[in-house]
Amino acid sequence: MVTVTLKVNGKTRSATVPPETTLLRMLRDQFDLTGAKLGCDVGDCGACTVIVDGQPVNSCLMLAGQSEGCEVLTIEGLADIDHMHPLQKLFEHFGSLQCGFCGPGVIMSAKALLDANSNPCTQEIRDALGGNLCRCTGYSKMIEAIKGAACIMRGEELPAVK
Amino acid sequence: MADERSKVADRPDILEKPDILRPPKPAPLVTFPIDVIVPEGRQQTPAVGQRASRADGRLHGLGQTKYIDDMYLPNMLFAKIKRAGTGSARIKSIDTKEAEAMPGVVAIITARDIPCNSFGPSLQDQPVLADTRVFHAGDGVAAVAAETEQIATEALEKIKVEYEVLSPVLDPLESLKLETPGVHAPSANVYGHKIIKKGDVQKAFAESDRIFEGTFRTQMVEHVPLEPYACIAQWDANGRLTIYSTLGRITLGRADVARTLGIPMSRIRIVATVVGGNFGGKNEIRAEPIVGLLSKKTGRPVKCTYTRPEEFYASTTRHPLIMDYKTGVTNKGKILGRKIRLVLDGGAYCSWSETTLGKACILSAGPYNIDNVEAEAFVVYTNKTMTGAMRGFGAPQVCFAYESHMDDMAHALGIDPIDIRLMNAFEEGSISPTGQKLHSVVAKESILRAAKRFGWNGLGNGNGSDNGHGNGNGTGVKA
Repeated sequence: MVTVTLKVNGKTRSATVPPETTLLRMLRDQFDLTGAKLGCDVGDCGACTVIVDGQPVNSCLMLAGQSEGCEVLTIEGLADIDHMHPLQKLFEHFGSLQCGFCGPGVIMSAKALLDANSNPCTQEIRDALGGNLCRCTGYSKMIEAIKGAACIMRGEELPAVK
Repeated sequence: MADERSKVADRPDILEKPDILRPPKPAPLVTFPIDVIVPEGRQQTPAVGQRASRADGRLHGLGQTKYIDDMYLPNMLFAKIKRAGTGSARIKSIDTKEAEAMPGVVAIITARDIPCNSFGPSLQDQPVLADTRVFHAGDGVAAVAAETEQIATEALEKIKVEYEVLSPVLDPLESLKLETPGVHAPSANVYGHKIIKKGDVQKAFAESDRIFEGTFRTQMVEHVPLEPYACIAQWDANGRLTIYSTLGRITLGRADVARTLGIPMSRIRIVATVVGGNFGGKNEIRAEPIVGLLSKKTGRPVKCTYTRPEEFYASTTRHPLIMDYKTGVTNKGKILGRKIRLVLDGGAYCSWSETTLGKACILSAGPYNIDNVEAEAFVVYTNKTMTGAMRGFGAPQVCFAYESHMDDMAHALGIDPIDIRLMNAFEEGSISPTGQKLHSVVAKESILRAAKRFGWNGLGNGNGSDNGHGNGNGTGVKA
């Protein structure tokens, strides 16, 4: 068993897990943060994406032990009781999610992108979502929402919807 | 009571606002015959063109939607299923002793523990766990319930199964032949067929200027919903079974679980959880009887989540089709007769094959006015992953075939692919191959509008649209 201490959504958390435990399993089973999903368990689908030290990471490919001392942000850490993150607001507004299973991963990838690039073009958004698969809605409405969120985060008006 | 009523009568404010009275007023009596409002043809519903957002969209974005894998019941065990890994085999023995002795393993079941080891939505040809025969590589042979998923996975390796490997039937055309051994002998390999006849195809071929033939094939497709299949069962001390499942058809599921476990439907409650993508792949039970029995055996809730590889080889897929088309046309491109033969590769079990077979056959002639049609379709068993429901039940496969066939003919006759479709497409009042008179038909309008939208410029011009895709004719004319 290994004991891991890390910061999750701003709070210091600690868990003792078998060494083969992935970060995803630890977040879900030990910390009850079930927002990150297990879709493929081999890093293909991106449903498990969380942000580790500012980088979007497939948490099913990262061992819990590797996250020792790291700062992890999950979908649960994006909103507080009063405010939704602009990405979450606009994903809802544009109907970017249908079954929603890929949503937390997509939004975390988008969040990492917007942290690094406040005004991404369509191609840059596509690249950032390269590791996230969606099987229902498709990506157009997600890209629309991410562009809108970027607008709002830059303090600009949301362009009128056609 | 009389007092209560008079109190209400004393309060005119309540009577003025009758909606605050509880319970609500009953609906007015309906006089017979009931007037049924028949909407006018082509009437657009007011919902079209409106923006709408999903009621659950916010929870999805917040990561608060609870899918089945996010659910945990106190004291829950985790189940894993041992897969055969070979397409066709006789099971000689299954030894679970070593696995049972592992610390953390709580229970193991095999086919012998299952009261009625067969189910299926139309033919009950699918075992819950393989008994003496393996029919495809994804067949389960044993299931383990353990304290953790990891222990259950390790226990699978300790289960020793001895097989006598048999030669599998893999090619659907081979399977069709009489001399090929039956996948489910003594049953025949052809387990469903449909024939549709309209007019006289031979006469139409004799009158045609040209006859075109083509064979088209589609491959097996997996639904790949992002959420893997999962279910949780809890068999309580009163003999009542509660199953949480990502299943789409819970009533059918209750019937199948009742059949396989030999208990009445009234003792089974299935709770459908939020589905993380279905696409037809979650239309019938999979591990529900297994987790049910494991829960009965252990007295604890049991969860089974499919791995992504299991989704591919141990769930249903889309039918691969082999489609032969023969069409007689005039030199101008008018279709006089069409003969079609479809062979559906059903895989190891029937599942929704009969539905798929029927729909593929009915739609196989395409949305075209053809007076003489002969379509026959067969579905055969092979020792491959079973096929079932998926988006359109056979419609996408035949659409690929008849539209490719139309393009081939247009090309050979030197006719614009749009023109040949306009010449033959269904119109208001057309009769389908099955004799149905069609209403609200906008096939031609749709084709024309689509052609205009992507800048169709006629065959061979090739540069119709500004994105350089002018020569690809994607005609979405599925009726």
